[in-house]
Amino acid sequence: MNRVMEMELMRLLHGELPPDQERALRGRLEREPGLAAALARLQKTWSGLELPPAAPVPLGFAQRVAARAREQSATVSWSAAPGWVRAAAAAALAFGILLGAGASRWTGLAEPAPEVQAQAGQVAATTSEPTDALLDDSLAASYWSALDDIDESGEAPSAGETGGDAL
Amino acid sequence: MGTETFGRAAAADPGWALLARVAAGETDAFTVLVDTHQERLLHLCERLLGDVEEARDAAQEVFLKAFRKAGELRPQGQLYTWLYRIAVNHCLNKLRRRRLVRFLRFADPMDGEEDAPAFDPPDRAADPAATLEARRRWQATRRAIEKLPAGQRAVLVLARFEGLSYRQIAEVLGITEGAVESRLFRAMRRVEAAQETNPSRVPPKEGLR
Repeated sequence: MNRVMEMELMRLLHGELPPDQERALRGRLEREPGLAAALARLQKTWSGLELPPAAPVPLGFAQRVAARAREQSATVSWSAAPGWVRAAAAAALAFGILLGAGASRWTGLAEPAPEVQAQAGQVAATTSEPTDALLDDSLAASYWSALDDIDESGEAPSAGETGGDAL
Repeated sequence: MGTETFGRAAAADPGWALLARVAAGETDAFTVLVDTHQERLLHLCERLLGDVEEARDAAQEVFLKAFRKAGELRPQGQLYTWLYRIAVNHCLNKLRRRRLVRFLRFADPMDGEEDAPAFDPPDRAADPAATLEARRRWQATRRAIEKLPAGQRAVLVLARFEGLSYRQIAEVLGITEGAVESRLFRAMRRVEAAQETNPSRVPPKEGLR
């Protein structure tokens, strides 16, 4: 069974074949047991995909979302800025921190005393989930949020993504 | 956007006119918009994320994003397609982030997926054995879906559980129908392989979608 044939069977299974092609394929299915077996296999895979009924909509969901929208529209905040502005601000902040760290190392001003370093090491060791902390940090959150806005602007993906499996 | 374009789109789906009122600052119109689409979006997010609470947060974010973007609207086709696109992108980003966090913890990206809370709907069947069997099937499906690459997962969920046609899926994801078909085909191959690995978990059932 080649891929083209399997894809045609999949289109039949999903009701995507034009009527004349569907008739022709159904005719072949009656004559060719191998083809019929392949369709049965696809059908089994498809119908084997089952999930439970989705949870009901929580009471007052629409009202809560509308209330949050009202709050947001009444507040001027970073979240209202375009994604690229927030991404640039986050990048500038990161650059500033790195620059500051580099300068302090170069001048030796920020080198802590050995006992302070030891205390810092203990604190770091007691942190159970360092990666979560890093990702929850406001700078990182700002970066993710900016990326979200770029990705989720509702626009179609770039041309390179339209024909392939980029997603 | 021209008035003529808007008129055509609004005739195809009155939801666009509602969104225009939202853009004009009518929050009551926004409540109606959320009320109209909340069920579909909550279900979609739940199917994609596999977690009810996370899906509620995601759906809320999607609506708020739509609220913020309402003024930039370019009506085309159906409004729900636009909302679905925002929702799918949002959920796929959340999934990528989830995997990144696990990667940074030096854990197997699939470990947590395996331990993710199972769907726990109220028991509707009187027969406990049937209920147990149904839960096993749901878990097997959830695992198979979670192992799919993001693009294939989105296509499979939209086709199997949202009942969208190839053309509608292509509109939602902004890809060609050929790409939809190709992703669905690959997803089916992977699911079939997963079902063969755990044949007892996915008993055959008849019936098309």
